[in-house]
Amino acid sequence: MSENETTTTAVEELEPAKGEGGKKSLISRLEEEGDVAADYLEALLDIVDLDGDIDIDVENDRASLAIAGGKLSHLVGERGEVLDALQELTRLAVQTSLGERSRLMLDIDNFRSAKKEELAKLAHEVADEVKSTGQSVKLRPMNAFERKVVHDTIQEIGLTSESEGEDPNRCVVVLPA
Amino acid sequence: MIDEALEHLVKGIVDNPGDVVITEKTHRRGTTLEVRVHPDDIGKVIGRNGRTARALRTVVSAIAGRSIRVDLIEADEAR
Repeated sequence: MSENETTTTAVEELEPAKGEGGKKSLISRLEEEGDVAADYLEALLDIVDLDGDIDIDVENDRASLAIAGGKLSHLVGERGEVLDALQELTRLAVQTSLGERSRLMLDIDNFRSAKKEELAKLAHEVADEVKSTGQSVKLRPMNAFERKVVHDTIQEIGLTSESEGEDPNRCVVVLPA
Repeated sequence: MIDEALEHLVKGIVDNPGDVVITEKTHRRGTTLEVRVHPDDIGKVIGRNGRTARALRTVVSAIAGRSIRVDLIEADEAR
């Protein structure tokens, strides 16, 4: 474990305070994450002989990868469970290669973006209900990704929300203003 | 192909990729893929609460289109 041999110098003070060591800017570190992740996924697609274009982006302080191929539904799974597993492995591959934890997001054939739209719509409906009744509303159990989309949407609307319970039964509760 | 895919997935997440050995075993009830890794890497491939092991099984079974058993084994000195 001799990865952090870089000696501390005054140059670090010029870098944003984010991240350990402050060796690189956040953006370039996330871009590097995206590249490593894309290599890992591309090699997998090659081995299993599937076609897919990988798009790398940086979004909300995370590396974000989207694979588009059209014939990849089995890599998503019925409820996105295969996609979550693949995302988990890809994060670990990045961590192994770069030595830092990754929070990258992976999407395949727009599964998450479609899900996102659906959840944002739900959040708007619930927000309307909370506004008109003045009562808080508890939503169904959701995974971390789903909860984040709901929290973000509720915040945009100008209400507040919190999570309660433990996974896999953790739920978002939308609170009246 | 499926053993190659598993080999790639595992090699990418361990510190000693050169020590990863996959053995395929076919039996009446289906296929088992045995994954041998360096003793220092066994914790990594299993993960907290078996999370990584589960992710490997999920992806491999999805690629194969059928349930594949994946056994994670610590390579011993005998090898």
